[in-house]
Amino acid sequence: MRKKSLVDSMLIVLSVTVFFVALGMVFFYAPREATMGEVQRIFYFHVASAWVGFFGFFVTFVGGIGYLATNNRRWGILAFSSAEVGLVYISMTLVTGMLWAKPAWGTYWTWEPRLTISAVQWLLYVAYVMLRGSVLSPEREARFAAVYGIAAFVTVPLSWFAIRWWRTIHPQVVSSEGMALAPKMIHTLLVSIATFTLVYVVLLRQRIALEHARDRLAALRLRDETSTL
Amino acid sequence: MIDIHNLTKSFGPRRALAGVDLHVAPGECVVLCGPNGAGKTTLLRILATLARPTSGEVRIAGLDSAKAGADVRQQIGFLSHRTLLYDDLTAEQNLAFYARMYAIPDAEVRVDALLERVGLSARRHDLVRTYSRGMQQRLAVVRAVLHRPALVLLDEPYTGLDPLAADALTALLTDLTGEGCTLLLTSHNLQSDVTINRRAVVLNRGRIVYDAPHTDAATFPALYRELVKDARGKKQESANHESRIMNHESRVTHHEPPLQHPTSKIQNPNFFRQVWAIVAKDIAAELHTREIFSAMFVFAVLALLIFSFALDLRGSLAQAAAPGVLWATIAFAGTLGLSRSMAREQQTGGIEGLLLAPVDRAALFFGKALGNLALMLAVELVLVPLAMVMFDVAFLRSGVLLTLLLGTVAYAAVGTLLAAIAVNTRAREVMLPILLLPLLTPLLIAAVKATGALLEGATWAEIGGWGQILVVYNLVIIAVALLTFGYVIEE
Repeated sequence: MRKKSLVDSMLIVLSVTVFFVALGMVFFYAPREATMGEVQRIFYFHVASAWVGFFGFFVTFVGGIGYLATNNRRWGILAFSSAEVGLVYISMTLVTGMLWAKPAWGTYWTWEPRLTISAVQWLLYVAYVMLRGSVLSPEREARFAAVYGIAAFVTVPLSWFAIRWWRTIHPQVVSSEGMALAPKMIHTLLVSIATFTLVYVVLLRQRIALEHARDRLAALRLRDETSTL
Repeated sequence: MIDIHNLTKSFGPRRALAGVDLHVAPGECVVLCGPNGAGKTTLLRILATLARPTSGEVRIAGLDSAKAGADVRQQIGFLSHRTLLYDDLTAEQNLAFYARMYAIPDAEVRVDALLERVGLSARRHDLVRTYSRGMQQRLAVVRAVLHRPALVLLDEPYTGLDPLAADALTALLTDLTGEGCTLLLTSHNLQSDVTINRRAVVLNRGRIVYDAPHTDAATFPALYRELVKDARGKKQESANHESRIMNHESRVTHHEPPLQHPTSKIQNPNFFRQVWAIVAKDIAAELHTREIFSAMFVFAVLALLIFSFALDLRGSLAQAAAPGVLWATIAFAGTLGLSRSMAREQQTGGIEGLLLAPVDRAALFFGKALGNLALMLAVELVLVPLAMVMFDVAFLRSGVLLTLLLGTVAYAAVGTLLAAIAVNTRAREVMLPILLLPLLTPLLIAAVKATGALLEGATWAEIGGWGQILVVYNLVIIAVALLTFGYVIEE
């Protein structure tokens, strides 16, 4: 337990440090974008949170398969902890996107394909979290969440195909031809992604620890109840 | 017949069974007693393959119950707390359905004989929901023994029976043991005829605390109270504990070869027949009530009207909005129907009846999904012409009809999976649309876009990606639903 908390403390210190480095790079290292100006800097948070959010949902997908294959609760805990953290990141993506859209497009929200599909994904994982809290049997809770997490992730690529034939006004930063960015912008983006990933790991570990603590508390309560019978 | 070794079962942190060892010989009748919450029902449900053990080994007729699946289920008859009958079917339809599930060759003769035996012949054509509790219980017993199982598990079989019906049940159980059938029943009535002179197993807090013949009706209740009270003490000496589990000869664990019982005469159930039986059962139930179709249709018409007023759909605007309005209406009405269809399955435990039968989980999924598809298509059959009249749009084109079919198939497939999840949640009335609609959005986008393009005169080949999305979505979602449905419906 002591070793675990030492690792967590080190990770927290490291992520805070790297976070300030990333902030410094976003505001002082990355050059000012010629067309959009300062507002473009939100892009480093927007893209990084989107990437890590998708990674979080991928972990949920893998955790769901692991749980169904092994019936081991640890996989279930990993799956829904990652979904919750991923949901926070995708929420951040939506908010930063809206903040950027107002000066760039003149509106916070438009029924543009990427925005629509991001909103759908956000709703998918809100539904996932709601489902977890609503299942009657504790054993079925993890199983249902695993099944929904798998189905939700499988539909993500389909969502992207569904918008390919829709004309989009969303900027394409990364395409098959590479990144349309200046080298300093690429460095800043990569550091931002690394920082957000590190924060994801910290949050995920804390969320998993919380779930294990809940399990231990439930076991203790049950022991108390049975001993007083 | 039954070999249980070191069986445990936990529900989260709560341990329902804590290392149960039990052997029951073929033809034996064992009475399982114990206070509420002792683990009796959990033990029976594990034996019936309705619940998975946390650890330990369970063998039925020499077969590993975790691996043998349908072969084990063919050997078992289970009478649960719930009747596992369909309220909206007649007694005869219920039994005919289960006979098809078990592929019973002489089904009609068997059904006639058993209905006569329990005194329900005269009411065989009545819906089960018109039966009294006692009549339902008698019919449930018939369902449990219909396929001539080698092992019959009965959870409180005398519940709700009047003295005459209880006597008839006792006679039936005695006949079953006479035919070589093994019985394991739970009972709180320690002085009934069926429990006396039987082997009694007392379960308390997930452990067997007594296992010996129950011969003295006068003294056993007092002994039972002492056992239960004693086991509730904080420290029970294990030596004392063991002394009450007599050296019953049948406790020696050995693995028998699969029993040659009348069930071996039963043919292997055919996958497609089982699928069709489930579809036919759902259609028959709907024909009796017409509740799902009526609700979906009325809701769909209301949705069309509300969209028309809310969006002020007239002239060219109506024609442009028609694909979107039609698909939104199908989505909302479909969700309503799917929810009710699965709730009907859960109502009296019909889904458990299906899980008990030697049915492939894939057959179960296809049966339920096709039943739901039939209902949705029936509603669309009326809805589409209505929308054509209301919006002055020619939906009756081969491309549009193909789009409707593909969209509805995917909707029924993923809806069946998620409805099975939603009925087991606290917020079951609202959970299905929350789970289903975000998952179906890509499909709905593709369906609306494809329908719109086809209405404007494009061919199926010209709609390009939208058609591909519909096909790929169907393939992917049916594969996911097929692979995961078993995990969703099993306990």
